[in-house]
Amino acid sequence: MEVWRALIGPLGFAVRSLQCRGFHSYLAFLGLTLTVSTTTFLLLLGQDLASRLGVDSSMRSTFGISWLIFAYLVLALALISIVGLLSTSYLVSSMISQRMRDIGVIKAAGALPRRLLAYVTFEALLVIVSSCFVGGLSALLIYSSWSWPNLSLFKQVGPVANAGATILIAVPLICLLLSYMVASLRVKRIVGYSSVNAISKQLSNLDLQTLGKPLRINRLGSAFNLATRNVSRDRGFNRTLLSVGICICLSMIVLAGALVSADTSASYVLRAMPPNVMIVANGNIYNQYVSLGTSFSRSAPISPIDYTNASYIITPQNASAFRSIPGVETVDTRLITMGSITGYVKAHFASNQDTGENINTQIIPEVDTGTTQALIVGINSTSAIGDWYTSNGFLQGADAQYTMIAGDSLVGNIVQTPFNLSQVSAFGYRYDIKSALVDPLNAGRVLYAPVQTVQRTLGVNGYNVLLLKVRDPSILAAVSQMASSFDLVAGSQDPVLNSNLAFLNNIWSYIFLIPIFALVLTCGLLLSYLATNFSRRFNDYVVLKVLGANAWYRLRLLLWEAWGILAISMLIAIPVAWAISIFFLVPDPSVSVADLELSTLVSASALSAVSVASALIYSRRLGFTTVKDLKP
Amino acid sequence: MDDQDEEIEVSAPRLAVDFVGVSKEYVIDGKPVKALSSITFSVKEGEVAVIIGPSGAGKTTVLNVIAGLEMPSQGDVRVLGLDLTVSTEQSLSAFRSANVGFIFQSYNLVSTLTAEENVELMMELAGWSDSGRNEMLTADLIGMVGLADRAKHLPAQLSGGEQQRVAIARAMANDPPLILADEPTGNLDQKTGLEVVNLLARLRQEKGKTLVITTHDDRIVSMADVIYRLENGGLESVDRPVRVRS
Repeated sequence: MEVWRALIGPLGFAVRSLQCRGFHSYLAFLGLTLTVSTTTFLLLLGQDLASRLGVDSSMRSTFGISWLIFAYLVLALALISIVGLLSTSYLVSSMISQRMRDIGVIKAAGALPRRLLAYVTFEALLVIVSSCFVGGLSALLIYSSWSWPNLSLFKQVGPVANAGATILIAVPLICLLLSYMVASLRVKRIVGYSSVNAISKQLSNLDLQTLGKPLRINRLGSAFNLATRNVSRDRGFNRTLLSVGICICLSMIVLAGALVSADTSASYVLRAMPPNVMIVANGNIYNQYVSLGTSFSRSAPISPIDYTNASYIITPQNASAFRSIPGVETVDTRLITMGSITGYVKAHFASNQDTGENINTQIIPEVDTGTTQALIVGINSTSAIGDWYTSNGFLQGADAQYTMIAGDSLVGNIVQTPFNLSQVSAFGYRYDIKSALVDPLNAGRVLYAPVQTVQRTLGVNGYNVLLLKVRDPSILAAVSQMASSFDLVAGSQDPVLNSNLAFLNNIWSYIFLIPIFALVLTCGLLLSYLATNFSRRFNDYVVLKVLGANAWYRLRLLLWEAWGILAISMLIAIPVAWAISIFFLVPDPSVSVADLELSTLVSASALSAVSVASALIYSRRLGFTTVKDLKP
Repeated sequence: MDDQDEEIEVSAPRLAVDFVGVSKEYVIDGKPVKALSSITFSVKEGEVAVIIGPSGAGKTTVLNVIAGLEMPSQGDVRVLGLDLTVSTEQSLSAFRSANVGFIFQSYNLVSTLTAEENVELMMELAGWSDSGRNEMLTADLIGMVGLADRAKHLPAQLSGGEQQRVAIARAMANDPPLILADEPTGNLDQKTGLEVVNLLARLRQEKGKTLVITTHDDRIVSMADVIYRLENGGLESVDRPVRVRS
């Protein structure tokens, strides 16, 4: 008796209530735990990938492939966080809604609202705290087994120090706080209802506005009619549609965004290093150029070389000779050299309006942004083979002779935005920066300038690298023959291109884990929604069975209910996700329709599989019920 | 016939329900519990059979076995000529939706459907696909039970008596030869219970249906052609009131 008395309190009430609710308690715990663990694990994985790919520090620029990858990771993880939090709040809200009738009964029995609030909130807290704790712990275990022995819990990623550990603590904690807020708000609202409304659970869950307007679509059968009525009369229909729709949309953006970003980054490389291009140079320079070309995908250091050694220089006459080879479309004449460069932000005026109408104009003195080694490429803008992705166009004939285009890796440190204030000093001359470009050459640490300017600066009359755009690879033999006659080496640029593309593919194949798990998270949310709704309407299904609805009818009803809401959500979410992924996510995107179709197919198939599986499970469960399972 | 794949052809037997040595045993917590022990009885077509007895006597189990909702552990059960003990789940569903109307003590209406939709649903389950005809019949049935003005209300918006009247209309929806009612007035007050009793009496007089009813209500017992008294799962007595015999 004493023990019994001791149990009458918030804890005793909560424990016994959870025990009585059995299956539903486990379902709520499981759903919430899965959401917390998946979200935490995904964020851990994301920061691990960012850390491994070396995009964790000094992301000050907003340009280039590294930025694209970093921005995608940040965006994907932000969207996953939203999906996780949305899913958490939805699950908690559903969990409390299921208790509405019991709360009404206890209130009607005379419990004080304050006491009732404490009891029910405490019960919800038991599930929430245990779910967040187990979820966080599971995420750590999964991540540890995934990344062992290279755990990345205490590294700096972007502005976040100890990113892994921060995520591990912050995500379950935020989920806990959010769940608590949602639970107490929801409980407060229910406690505020009149007891009669709260007790009449069936009525409180139904939208009465659609009554008297039954759908009659005979072609799809009675099961479809019944399913549409069940779903459309659910008061939470719009909220569910919104939650599921947003989660599908966000996970689709993460998935389609990964595909678009992967395609776009590959297209940046392809534009800088197009196929069917021959490299012609002295043997040493040739090897050096190949090393520079593949430095994007290999971390091996570039050995120093005297680029302007007289034996490496190709005269303008010899360069012109290659134009006469049938099948050679363009000869891109380049003079490359490695040099120390210093960046500046020019002195300029800065105006800012104070609180009144006064405008203060300040003189900002010149700023030295640092010195580094970079590859300087003298290039003839009219015969340049690359079609780089640039921020403000490539060199033009009308540009001043001391103009440069900066590679993406220099942007954000040596070269600052806006570019019209940025200058670079090389070989004693100041160059204005016109624009930036994405180039794998020397891993983006490259500056393009008019070839005549570089020749004059270096005192060289000629070139050390020729790039030949050829109609097809069969021209190589003729090019090689001519090259050897000038004591030069010729080879295709394609192996360099392929090495870079393979490197990018490798990176994206790692990153693709994130959209796949994001899809798993959304599938989990859908499963929770379906399980909650099927459980809530289970008595109605048993009634149908008792009345004579056969197994096929019952399965069709569950399938329509499960797939119907998914179909509506997908119809809204997928086009929105496509539009965002194509038009807003990536600058100058390269979009493959096949990839977008693939992402849609994968998402739709996975989500449909979840809805079909849950319908099958509940249909089977329904098969085991008897008339004795009917609840009054 | 798009919703129910098969319909059982029912011949015209003299006996609507025929129980021979029917026993039903449940296993609860690993222990066998006998709900029915070797019951033999029959109900003729057009008869009103009332099953009475204390709670736990096995009344509801008898109805469930007649409806094919539960299988007997032993014995033979024939309902409208169909041997239920050898029928499959599929054929039992088809049999039930075409031949049996069920009225529950706790109404058991589909919560998301209005009164008229609950009635119409039964027609759809029976494979009646002409929605125009179904709507007309539904309106007739809803009118018959006096709920024309409540037709578009959800079960939760109706009183207990109104819900039970919808359940009666639903039990009639597929025009079944056999109607089973499990304590149909059990949850209702005197006045509302009387309305339900009158409705059941109309079913018997105007439609000639066979009714098997479990009840504690004397007003229903007084309608009976035959009264079976169950006690601890066994058939205690059979009584045929004088007016029937005469």
